[in-house]
Amino acid sequence: MASGDTLLQWSALANEPPSSNAATFDTRNQHPVLDFDASTNETAVFSGVMPQHYATGGVTVYLHYAMSTATSGDIDWDVGFELVGDGSQDIDSDGFAAVNSVDNTTVPGTSGHIDVVSVAFTDGADMDSVTAGSGFRMKVTRDAASDTAAGDAELRWVEIRET
Amino acid sequence: MALNAGDRAFVNSLLQREWSGRNEQTGAMTKADLLAAVAAVDDWIDANAASYNQALPQPARDALTAPQKVELLYRVARRRYEVD
Repeated sequence: MASGDTLLQWSALANEPPSSNAATFDTRNQHPVLDFDASTNETAVFSGVMPQHYATGGVTVYLHYAMSTATSGDIDWDVGFELVGDGSQDIDSDGFAAVNSVDNTTVPGTSGHIDVVSVAFTDGADMDSVTAGSGFRMKVTRDAASDTAAGDAELRWVEIRET
Repeated sequence: MALNAGDRAFVNSLLQREWSGRNEQTGAMTKADLLAAVAAVDDWIDANAASYNQALPQPARDALTAPQKVELLYRVARRRYEVD
């Protein structure tokens, strides 16, 4: 697979909510979205199997989001991977690697406009050693404790590309 | 007595959740800007509570409890602007 090609993508419908502080499912003009609170760090989780055509170039995660009400301020997102794999993770517990972040993004000047931000991961430990053919989870968290934009952030799609 | 920092933060969070739920635009305002507005309203209430109480005619002034007087103010103000 070539750099920049899509490996996986999900809509808000694919969220597997964590047991606490989960982003909330909502619709906006019938668009399914996940609402991330402005005061509490909330998380969405997506799972899949890394495609066989992943070429160990590392991945870049693209977050497609809009703001519910804000037209100013900035937003911070954290993304982390958990290798589930073949005997790699006891699914009775979590084993996410440290997150990578995209911070201080100025939100769109129109609250309904989708903005796309990206977070890059190098192959290996940075993405919890997820390899082609291995099952994994990926968590997306709004760092509401650090960002400044008021109101909910609404996540619409998530895409993983080969870096 | 004015709200403490935790209660002001609670109101700030509550307003953002409610307005987000209604997709109600808040314009070019950050979380900190809204918190400053919450604080200003709280301070205004503190400074004007006695004046508000004096504005109530009898027997309401003596008969109503403080929570009832708060709800009275809230209901009248809300109805004026039909925010429901």
